[in-house]
Amino acid sequence: MQNEKELMKMIKESHPQHPGKDFIQSTENMLRQKARSMTKTTRVKKYSLASSLILFFAFTFSWLFFFNGSEAVINLSNTIGRDSLSSTALNDKEPIVFIYQTHNVESFIPELEGNNVNKVYSEDINVTSVGKELETALEEREISAIHDDTNISEILVDRNLTFADSYTVSREIIQRALNEHQSIMMLLDIHRDASKKSESTITIDGMDFAKIGLVVSKTTENYEANKAFASRIHEKLEQLYPGLSQGVFEKGVNPKNTYNQDLQENSVLLNIGGVENTFEETYRTADALAEVIKEIIEEY
Amino acid sequence: MIDLKNLESSIIVIYNEHYLDVFRFLVCFSGNQNDAEDLTQEVFIRVLKSLPNFKTDTNIKTWIFSIAKHVAIDHYRKKKFTAIFKDGFFTRLESKDKKPDEELETTELEHFIHEAISRLKPNHRAVVILRGINEFSVKETAAILQCSESKVKVDYHRALRDLKRKLNVEAGEVFSNAK
Repeated sequence: MQNEKELMKMIKESHPQHPGKDFIQSTENMLRQKARSMTKTTRVKKYSLASSLILFFAFTFSWLFFFNGSEAVINLSNTIGRDSLSSTALNDKEPIVFIYQTHNVESFIPELEGNNVNKVYSEDINVTSVGKELETALEEREISAIHDDTNISEILVDRNLTFADSYTVSREIIQRALNEHQSIMMLLDIHRDASKKSESTITIDGMDFAKIGLVVSKTTENYEANKAFASRIHEKLEQLYPGLSQGVFEKGVNPKNTYNQDLQENSVLLNIGGVENTFEETYRTADALAEVIKEIIEEY
Repeated sequence: MIDLKNLESSIIVIYNEHYLDVFRFLVCFSGNQNDAEDLTQEVFIRVLKSLPNFKTDTNIKTWIFSIAKHVAIDHYRKKKFTAIFKDGFFTRLESKDKKPDEELETTELEHFIHEAISRLKPNHRAVVILRGINEFSVKETAAILQCSESKVKVDYHRALRDLKRKLNVEAGEVFSNAK
């Protein structure tokens, strides 16, 4: 039949000679990420080995010197406890939760001076603090989170945009975060609603909590996933803090709004409290929410 | 060339330099673009994982290809295993999987070539592709397959002979069918 060269030419021509363009790029990205995480783990390993050696020597030396002083020994064990804590924090885990406030100026009347009912927005005392509290509460539970405290209202003024464009600005913030941290699994947009104190507050075990409402946009591809995620939060809250959650609200149809929930699965808009709640009440709710998110992450 | 201290930049350099050759080897081996892309990815993940243990005195290309050959043969084994199920009830369902445009693109000749290659023993298949398509020398091929040079020569000739025979038989069948 054919000679060898012809045969090889035929084989070559009968197969595609180039992989897809998307494939080339996505594989490169994937390798980059894997390489990065590999370097990180070796660095952490080296670091923890070194730090544990140092701790060990510090401990033995101090033990020799302070052998008789029981007080010294107690102090010592305290410092060691603190050191090892900070070294676990150094394992700088990739962030899983991204917290932001599209309507960052939404504020709480009792926290504002003069209790002016008309004044429900503030540049510096506002819902951003609730987002910050949620981040802190998550970090305390060893869940890596990022809190964005961009003053979106200021950006709107700078760019001559209206309040309705808030979601356009927050979209840019989310996209930047998602690009920088591919580990992000959840997007939480913190708001408060306009309801009265009697409707937005619940007393559990003698303490006042700001009620929480979960909002999911019906007009995104992630609708099903986001709804499932929000429902999971609701169920968990019901178990741990009955009555705290007002449930999942499906919105965004008229007027159409995705609330940027199309960018990532597990996105939800959270109304924590109303205009008449205090920071104390909303912070309690943020803590409760952190507890629930932790449990949900552990289930994954 | 490779700075092993910087894993990220070295894997990217290696990947960009070799992905096309690796892909061509795998596409001929598997006869399928999708499989070849998946396998190419697998190869470079394995390369990355073993990169810290890579000895700089060995030839990187033959090293990568020895990994590619393992990946290809593992894939072949898995496929063979699943083929047991496919051959029965599921064969009828399988035909639906092919997109219509894909079917159009696959000409009859291509089909014969794929068929003939897929019937070669995996080791023979690797030898044919490495020598014929990737144009490795006998010495390099022997290094990749971790066998002697004479085995490469013998296998190559046998594989070529088988391939030609299969192609001739199948081409003959077409003509007899056409009558």
